[in-house]
Amino acid sequence: MHRALIGLAVTLVASAAAAQAPPVEGVVRGEVRDPRGAPIPGAVVGVPGTTRYAFTDGDGRYRLNLVATGEVRVRAAAIGYTAASLTVTVADSARANFTLEPAPLELTPLDVVSTKVPHFGEPSTSVAQVSEQDIARRAVNTVDEAVDKAAGVQILNGQINIRGSTGYVQGLNSRVLLLVDGVPMNQGDRGGINWDLLPSDQIERVDILKGAGSSLYGSAALGGVVNLTTRDVPSRFHARVRLTGGAFADPPHPEWRFRNTMGLHDGVDVTGSYGTEAAAGRISVGARHSDGYRQQDERDHWHVSAKGRWQATPRTRLDVAGSWAVDQYQVPLNWCSRGECDDRGQIFQPFKIDTTERGARTNSRKGYLSAQLRTVASDRFAWQARGSWLRTNFADYRRSATEASVANRFGIEVRAEAHPDAARTVLVGGEATLSDVTSDIFGNHSQSEFAAYGESEQRVGAARVTAGARLDYLAVDAGSLTAVVSPRIGGTIPLAGGTLRASVGRGFRAPSMAERFVHTFAAGFEVIPNPTLRPETGWSVELGHTTPVLGAVRLDAALFWTEARDLIEPQLVVDTTPRIQLQNVTRARIAGVDATVLSAPIPNHLTASLAYTYLDTRPVLAFRPRHLLTLSADYAPAGASGAWGLGADFRFASRPERIELEGFVDPRRVAVRVLDLRASWTSGPFDVRLLVANALNYIYNLVPETLAPVRTMSVTAAWSY
Amino acid sequence: MSLRAAAALVTVLAAALACDAGLEPQPICARGLVGVCGTIRFSGTIPDSTDNVFVAAYASFPHTCNELIFNRQPFIPSSVPYTDSLSLYSIELLPDTYEWVLAVWKKVGNLTLSANDTTLLRVAGYYRNPADSTQPGSVTVPAGSVADSVDFKVDFDNLRPATDFVTCTVR
Repeated sequence: MHRALIGLAVTLVASAAAAQAPPVEGVVRGEVRDPRGAPIPGAVVGVPGTTRYAFTDGDGRYRLNLVATGEVRVRAAAIGYTAASLTVTVADSARANFTLEPAPLELTPLDVVSTKVPHFGEPSTSVAQVSEQDIARRAVNTVDEAVDKAAGVQILNGQINIRGSTGYVQGLNSRVLLLVDGVPMNQGDRGGINWDLLPSDQIERVDILKGAGSSLYGSAALGGVVNLTTRDVPSRFHARVRLTGGAFADPPHPEWRFRNTMGLHDGVDVTGSYGTEAAAGRISVGARHSDGYRQQDERDHWHVSAKGRWQATPRTRLDVAGSWAVDQYQVPLNWCSRGECDDRGQIFQPFKIDTTERGARTNSRKGYLSAQLRTVASDRFAWQARGSWLRTNFADYRRSATEASVANRFGIEVRAEAHPDAARTVLVGGEATLSDVTSDIFGNHSQSEFAAYGESEQRVGAARVTAGARLDYLAVDAGSLTAVVSPRIGGTIPLAGGTLRASVGRGFRAPSMAERFVHTFAAGFEVIPNPTLRPETGWSVELGHTTPVLGAVRLDAALFWTEARDLIEPQLVVDTTPRIQLQNVTRARIAGVDATVLSAPIPNHLTASLAYTYLDTRPVLAFRPRHLLTLSADYAPAGASGAWGLGADFRFASRPERIELEGFVDPRRVAVRVLDLRASWTSGPFDVRLLVANALNYIYNLVPETLAPVRTMSVTAAWSY
Repeated sequence: MSLRAAAALVTVLAAALACDAGLEPQPICARGLVGVCGTIRFSGTIPDSTDNVFVAAYASFPHTCNELIFNRQPFIPSSVPYTDSLSLYSIELLPDTYEWVLAVWKKVGNLTLSANDTTLLRVAGYYRNPADSTQPGSVTVPAGSVADSVDFKVDFDNLRPATDFVTCTVR
């Protein structure tokens, strides 16, 4: 560990020394707009090969500080638009206004490691993005609803499955790391993800890295990384009010009816912000209520979130953010099987629950605070430091027992970014995380993680090669350290008619404290702890190619292959009495093909996409559909007095071939066939959206004995100032 | 293939994939059945020597080996799924009142329609009198109709030989 830290310090100093401070600096500012003059928020504007970059605010404005004087090439790019460059002469200040042409087939302008080092160019690993437009179009209320629509990604009862990495594990862990503006947010006790930590209205973009990302992000990035980028705080005064209301469809068969009134849901979000170029702040509050679509499914949610920025000096910017959310919800544990409720002569009642589970509910509170300081020392060198605190607190009330847990996750990170020359970027950093839990089912424990990482990107002609590694040390209850090394190498090379990308990397996931120390009862069995669990590891290989075909269609395809070891799964341990214990049991091969076709037959008006993932796991892993297909289309002509649009998503997932604890639970499961329809109308500051999710009212389940949402109609009206 | 044709193909594909009803109500008793139907809840460890589990009914409680073997209805029963925790069953029976409806566990081996069959068969569970769960419950199959909700439990850890119920000597 000491050697790693010394190495990190030496690298930082060397990078700093190599940096060349420009003699004179100015400011470049401007706007990024589309051909109709509408601002493009979230566009990245920067000077390629340097530390100078910025994102446009809600009005499409940006400001680049400390740009070297003289002739400078400034580049702007945004998802769905053709990137553009301008050469400006910088004295004290200069303006560079961009007009970007819509190009729905354009690739993402940023690597997913944007939270580490933003730069232009195609990533060497597959990345799915959910843009602000995608989020707005679908009028989603929670972040997981937005992520669920991304190609090759599936949300299983709150757990995210990227390319077969994660099945359904009752919330005890996640093989995908969640970042909020680059800050890790997996729970300290269970390692899972609270998707309701942030209101979806505050999310500007979701980047989903597919495949191992541990070389930069460490534990939990075994199957991928999801980074939520929150909206930046714009200058001047802004406000936004968003109202949502809707209804759930009744069960499609009279023998499944469970209530005489219609189930409703509603919500309100209010956001206000004020800022200058030097400092800005935003606060958002909101609440939601839902009657639920099945018996014992009511839920209430309240949240408050805030974000602030302070440009302390032209070189230094401080960002602080925080959020606190409270959820109280009834828990429809399992659907009712024959004899467990008024079954009306049915073998199962998917909308009803076992009467012995009446009254089950959960109180959940979670929040975080984070601060990030970024200092641009020169064109060639910048460093960044962050500190964060995530706190989660839940109490499950069941007839049999009350279970509770309070967990904290404290993190610090320091990293440096150097551009020794225009063709090379170097990133080094160190990170420490301390998690603790106080719980009647997980016990009182702590876990610490220390890491050092480095990555370098080199342009070789038209090709780009990225190589890096991360060394993690893990300790539980201040015990002995376990070391994990996660290297990665990748590259992209433009070929005639497309771009080829390849990468190989190692990922890992440390067992959560819940997995090590859980002691409870599930499915009638005692669940016993296993403090000797080892980290799960896996090597991921990917070969991808993206190419335009037929002029108006782009095809992106990737072959992926993961060799995973020591996957942790529940096992039935038969001693004197059968009990369940989590063990490192599975060595698995997860391979498949990801293909995305994006078409724009009528530029500016109709966009369509088709994404397909074929998955082969050996042995057959639970809850992994072999086929996953997403079709999406949006039609949005411009109107004279406003803009309207229509859209649809269709999602198919084949029936999972295996589930966990088969024989102990109702094995009933079907394929997923869900159609969502949407319509929107925008005029000036007003925006109205209609969403009919699961329009065909297809009745299905993703995990055993748990009904997935029925047809849900929602109307969202927003006013922005 | 033109873009329009591709779009049409995609639409047809989506429609084809969408044409499925998903989960459907599943009544315990098949429509038009004359007999009894219900569910069996399984618990315990399934013995390695299991051949099958079937449901049978007796109009009168059997007292001898011959009654046990030859009064069984249906005479040649078919197995019910027993690997899941819950299984539904329905058996065709003539309209009558049945004093004993039970699940029978069968060991691997051939039945010979003799007292020796009792070495291969165990009483795994039976429908119980709702008023006195220690006693078997009687079930009446109405003419042209069905007796439903004839539910009972099977405990593989507590399989009982037929001789616990019937006087029967194995030769």
